[in-house]
Amino acid sequence: MMTPLQFEQLYQGDWSELEQNLQDILDPKHADALGHAPPSGDRVGMLYRRACDHLALARARSYPAYMIDRLERMTSQAHQVIYFRRDYGIRQLGHFISHRFPALVRAHAVYVAIAAATFLLPGLVLGFLVYWRPDLILSMVSSETASTFEQMYSASAESIGRTRTASTDWMMFGYYIRNNISVSFQCFAGGLFAGVGSLFFLAYNGAFAGSLAGYLTARGLSSTFFPFVSTHSAFELTAIILSGAAGLRIGHAILAPRRLKRIDSLVQASRETIVLLYGVTAMLLVAAGVEAFWSSARWLPPTVKYTSAWICWAAVLSYFWFQGRRAS
Amino acid sequence: MRRVLDTVVAVETPEGILLELRPAGLTARAYAFALDWLIRIAIMYAGVLAAAFIGGIGVAFLLILFFALEWFYPVAFELTTSGATPGKRVFGLKVVMDNGLPITPAASVTRNVLRAADFLPFGYGFAIASMLLRSDSKRLGDIAAATLVVHEQRAIPKIMLLKIPPLAPAKPLAPEDQAVLVAFAGRANVLTSERVDELAALAASVSGDAGRSGREVTRRVLGVAQWVLGQR
Repeated sequence: MMTPLQFEQLYQGDWSELEQNLQDILDPKHADALGHAPPSGDRVGMLYRRACDHLALARARSYPAYMIDRLERMTSQAHQVIYFRRDYGIRQLGHFISHRFPALVRAHAVYVAIAAATFLLPGLVLGFLVYWRPDLILSMVSSETASTFEQMYSASAESIGRTRTASTDWMMFGYYIRNNISVSFQCFAGGLFAGVGSLFFLAYNGAFAGSLAGYLTARGLSSTFFPFVSTHSAFELTAIILSGAAGLRIGHAILAPRRLKRIDSLVQASRETIVLLYGVTAMLLVAAGVEAFWSSARWLPPTVKYTSAWICWAAVLSYFWFQGRRAS
Repeated sequence: MRRVLDTVVAVETPEGILLELRPAGLTARAYAFALDWLIRIAIMYAGVLAAAFIGGIGVAFLLILFFALEWFYPVAFELTTSGATPGKRVFGLKVVMDNGLPITPAASVTRNVLRAADFLPFGYGFAIASMLLRSDSKRLGDIAAATLVVHEQRAIPKIMLLKIPPLAPAKPLAPEDQAVLVAFAGRANVLTSERVDELAALAASVSGDAGRSGREVTRRVLGVAQWVLGQR
């Protein structure tokens, strides 16, 4: 049998070449400074496969730990370099918007329906309850918050949907992005608790929005509130319902893994649904822009805002219903 | 391949070799997290100072910056070739897929968005519980994204026994015995000489010194190790 030192001497050259190439790939600036030519892919691939053979041999022959360790580090580093994904899906972005996202939403239609019901039913029930007895708003929020909201939508406010102390449209844009996307991420992540978390966050946010609408209507502010929310809600409410639906899919995958192991079922479900969250995030960015720059503009008459709301709702719903049905 | 009590995760590559991943435990990850947290605080502080100068539109960028730091700071760094946030890099950790491949963008987004679940009920409670209960120390986001936080491997020093003359073993040695002997030789210079003598006495049969111990026996046992390594 070949002794460890003979083995090392024989293949030393290959190993140092692979190590040098890996170093050059990982630190191209340093490699340039040293005047090294860029490593050829074929050569690195061949050296990698060779090192894999040597590692297998070294392990089978129980060669010394330092040598196996060196080969292990070399091969695992090469493995990382060779299989590193360089495409960030930018090229697929067009395809994602035109086909993948709406198709994925349709594929999750049942979850979307359940999420929508979980969000809308508490919203409607609480909306009518609070409209009937406005005091009930205090079971959802404190009296200070209620009066702040009332002030925000009062006819005398300079711009709708915010207090007079807040400065510019841009600031609110930043605020809406942070707030809304965090809410939608919560609705998604809650799915990890067998879907219960998603149901809770959906119902809670639905109840909150519903009772607020009921309260403001009861206080006679519907003429400022509804023109304000109608347009951006086309993107915002759908996005939150979709992220809740993604969470429910994950929860369902944990509860009913079918023929997979529970963990594998979870991994598969999150791999598929995280893609929904990309689309949701994009929708929420649009919603934040609309909310900050369009919805809040006081000089626009309500008729214009209602028209834009109808157009946006029709556009969003038909996008999810029709877009990308024919395979590209 | 190893049946010892260990947390090593072995994954097979398409080339048919086993890569050994060493999952990082709660403590190492907590240190890395704390460091990343400090870095984020520093960036936020700089952002606040900048926003104070710019005014209204600066506040918008500040809020967007907060949002981005909160959710996408780890994603941005995990998708670089190092696969680690600055905090993880300092403590020698990196994030990989649990099949040893570099982390994919989708997996990175998944594991970081699911922090919202790990964070519950408070102070990363579920994450800590999950990491302590699992031998591979995954938090909930890691489980769903099929990722693993691992220690980067450190080099084992080359065995230096040049001063000891090689000695042929007194009996044929099975490959496992040779491996044990070589591993012992590899650790000889990091142990105290008394401990080395003790361990050498246990292996003394390889040089025909069974039952004896002492400095000379140690030299002879290490000499056999030298011979097994290939010195003649």
